[in-house]
Amino acid sequence: MRIVTTALALAAMLAAGGGALAGERVAADVSCTATAERLTYDCTIMLEGRKSGAPVEGAEVVVKADMPSMPLAHNVRPVKAAPGSMPGHYSATLELEMVGEWALTLDVSGPTRDRVVRKLRFGGTAEDTGHEHGEMKDHGGDMDHGAMEMEKSH
Amino acid sequence: MDDIYLVTVVSNIGMISFIALSAYLLLVVGEISFGQQAFFAVSAYGSGIATAMWGWPIWLGLLWGALLAGAAALVVAIPTVRLRGLYFSVATLAFAEMVRLIFEIFTYQVEIDGELVGPDGSDGFRDIRAIYDSNVSAFEYMLIIYGLLAVVLIGFLILERSRLGAIFRMIGEDPMLTEMQGLNVTVYKILAVVMAGVVAGIGGALYAHLATYVEPKIFNVMLGVHALAYGLIGGLGTAFGPLIGVAIDIGLLESIRAISGYRMIVFGGLVALLLIVRPRGLLDEAAVHWLRGRWRELRRATH
Repeated sequence: MRIVTTALALAAMLAAGGGALAGERVAADVSCTATAERLTYDCTIMLEGRKSGAPVEGAEVVVKADMPSMPLAHNVRPVKAAPGSMPGHYSATLELEMVGEWALTLDVSGPTRDRVVRKLRFGGTAEDTGHEHGEMKDHGGDMDHGAMEMEKSH
Repeated sequence: MDDIYLVTVVSNIGMISFIALSAYLLLVVGEISFGQQAFFAVSAYGSGIATAMWGWPIWLGLLWGALLAGAAALVVAIPTVRLRGLYFSVATLAFAEMVRLIFEIFTYQVEIDGELVGPDGSDGFRDIRAIYDSNVSAFEYMLIIYGLLAVVLIGFLILERSRLGAIFRMIGEDPMLTEMQGLNVTVYKILAVVMAGVVAGIGGALYAHLATYVEPKIFNVMLGVHALAYGLIGGLGTAFGPLIGVAIDIGLLESIRAISGYRMIVFGGLVALLLIVRPRGLLDEAAVHWLRGRWRELRRATH
């Protein structure tokens, strides 16, 4: 009986493309890079099941940005992330109002429903943003508007 | 996306109205508090702990948060209400910073479904999911926020027509004269501080459950200064004053996208300008009195 149950579970997983299990909490990894346009950032979001580690595919991801140090002051329009080229990858372009630390709320729906909050520091030069929490990711030589990932855990 | 954005902005206006009303009540009794964000914070954390960690129902969590904020306000009020003017302001600011710094190091987590839930110092408090998990939509939650705001506002309007409201305004005008009427100013001020704490607490609990995430940085002095400024912009003549202040800041300035990035600068300038031309705000006591007179005339004319 147990063998049959396991086989059925595996079959269900394969049918779902090996993605994260329904109802499973989501782990998110977000990295953003500055675009040529001021205060506009291209973000890559990687979603996977916290327990299974399987990529979350076919999800609808809405990204909302808030600035913790200025609560309720910045009402940035939420953006819908587009599926990326790799499984569990999504991309979104954020238009922020100022540099500094922002909390990104990722609302995931579809195969699994979850909300994940990630904190990222946007802008500043490589020198003044500090490197202890993450890797500076910048491009185009426009270091003033770079973004860095602050955390990689859940 | 526009719907989510609009609901978020309107919800933000509602939630910040609670802390604006809280600061307004203290302005009415003649005290300037830079620390109402502390009660917002105590309730946000307290209600979050109750629902996310102890499994309390949301309504009980909100009530608990508001009561906890009221209790914190009582602790602040007893030693500080005897202080006058700037000293009270500095004391409330110091208390609020103390609360924020305590939350920076406050760690209390339990494992729920294999996940650690609870405040984790400066990393914040995630997964306050009582509302999120019960599938309450953002629009429905906005209605809950405004339902509670309406209850609080009605409470304020009743208070303003009551004897207690008159005593509060009298204390604001001249505490010594109030004392000479045989009224215990200290007791009434403590009552005002506690009531203001509870009102800020309702906002804090609502905020924590909408955001599902709070961190100490949210409750910095900026929130308190804004709360205070809303009453000063909108006016101290009626409880609608601070709500007008919130609507001007978040609603009007937000809608003018050209200045969105410079909103804080425009807001600061607006406060400075109004303090010069209308020191008690747009709807000050004189304006409210004038409006009431016109309203009475209008009613008489129609009968």
